[in-house]
Amino acid sequence: MRGIHLLDYYVEKLGAEPGAYGDWEVPYRFSGAIEEHLEVRERVAFFDVTHMGRLLVKGEDAFDFLQYIYTKDLKDIKQGRMSGPTLSLNDWARVKDDEMLYKLGDHEWLIVVNALASGKMIEFFKRVREEKGFKVEITDLTNEHTMLAIQGPESTRVMELLGASWAGSLKPLEFKMNETLAVGEVYLVSRSGWTGEDGYEVWAKPDVALRIVEALVKAGVKPAGLIARDTLRIEAGFVLGGNEYGEDPTRFPCAVGLRYGMGAITWGKKGFIGEEALRACRREGPRWARYGLKFSKEAGRIVPRHGDAVYVEDIQVGWVTSGMYSPVLKRAIAQAYIDTRYAVVGEEVEVSVKGKRFEAKIVDFPFVAKK
Amino acid sequence: MSSDIIVEVGKKKYIVKRDRLYTETDEWVKIEGNKGVVGITDYAQKELRDIVSVELPEVGSTVSKGKRVGALDSVKATSDYYAPLSGRVTRVNEKLTETPELVNNDPYGEGWIFEIELTNPGEASSLLTPEAYAEKIKSHSAKPTH
Repeated sequence: MRGIHLLDYYVEKLGAEPGAYGDWEVPYRFSGAIEEHLEVRERVAFFDVTHMGRLLVKGEDAFDFLQYIYTKDLKDIKQGRMSGPTLSLNDWARVKDDEMLYKLGDHEWLIVVNALASGKMIEFFKRVREEKGFKVEITDLTNEHTMLAIQGPESTRVMELLGASWAGSLKPLEFKMNETLAVGEVYLVSRSGWTGEDGYEVWAKPDVALRIVEALVKAGVKPAGLIARDTLRIEAGFVLGGNEYGEDPTRFPCAVGLRYGMGAITWGKKGFIGEEALRACRREGPRWARYGLKFSKEAGRIVPRHGDAVYVEDIQVGWVTSGMYSPVLKRAIAQAYIDTRYAVVGEEVEVSVKGKRFEAKIVDFPFVAKK
Repeated sequence: MSSDIIVEVGKKKYIVKRDRLYTETDEWVKIEGNKGVVGITDYAQKELRDIVSVELPEVGSTVSKGKRVGALDSVKATSDYYAPLSGRVTRVNEKLTETPELVNNDPYGEGWIFEIELTNPGEASSLLTPEAYAEKIKSHSAKPTH
């Protein structure tokens, strides 16, 4: 197992409880996932997300290579902007990974991939490159930089405190490179995150990152771990591999039903991997689509789990992909795949949680609006 | 406090109180007269973490040694808990309905779950002593958890 650069610091100085994530060792929690979750929603907290795979794709065919792999049309993305979430599909139009692209220049892009998919995606990229003869260099930057995510409604104030007086002028999904902050030079600062709140992500060499972390702690910004990161993304309506998507067509519906929104799929675009199956799924009409389920307060503190069945009367019409008791809404919520014939927003369904039926309402994402 | 056993496994520390008995399934029972107060151990709460709900038994119901009483839901997992001894439930910790995090914050105190009137106090002889439970944590934690 490989620990993220600053793991020992988190464990010894900040009381982190470490845990495994794929072959990484990362902080699961500091004070407790629920407290950390609320801290992000109400104020600000920071995460270390160095386990996220980061690749540099460079070369004359970089643009064509990425266009061939992703469902989103990248031609309108400006230099210094991120793509927003986009998908890489397999031939069954099932999702390999949801990823974020950063345009550094016409022939130079960064890709952030999910930690668990990182090894698989690097192999896949190389295979595509060989098969199609794309002239691109792929460099794994994951170990080069520590990646911190400063998230929450007060995150701009925190960035200013770190010396990024310009942070507030960044638009969502805009980034700057090689900026000098109070503690040293950082590789990249973007206005982004995965929590559904305003926030920033900072890539820096581990020694600079450590000084940033020390400055954050000194300023009273709380650390948050991987568990809170997961509950925040559930509330925000974001998807996670293995829960909402995966490559196995017997376990996961086609990507149309993922309803990821935010332009993850550009229907006007032609010539990407999985396109044929994706269009077939679209024409036929997806059988399953992802929606939110909001339980009543009377259901109390229940925790819907992955795989819990969703019913309309005695008919099973879907299954839960991720669930939680929302500390913000004070009720249980879930993401679920619902048979599209029954997927009517506002309608009631029942969910079997630990063998007991509870009423829930079909809703759209996000569950919690940005502050 | 000073008499607690502190079990250190790698970077983790678990408290085992000397004033009570333990089960293989990580419950504790503190016996006073013909009553026993039951909760889950520091080790169990640290394995579960982030507890969001506690399913309580009903006052007046009977529980049997080793049988399931209810479940604890954490952010990441659901875990059943079992009766360390047989008896009739005389009190439950109603505070856990609104503040289940008490089980995380104070597993041996404010985080107690229920109290029983013992129907077969002799069963206690098969429970683990604090020392035996401390050994159990050590050997269990030595296994890879992931």
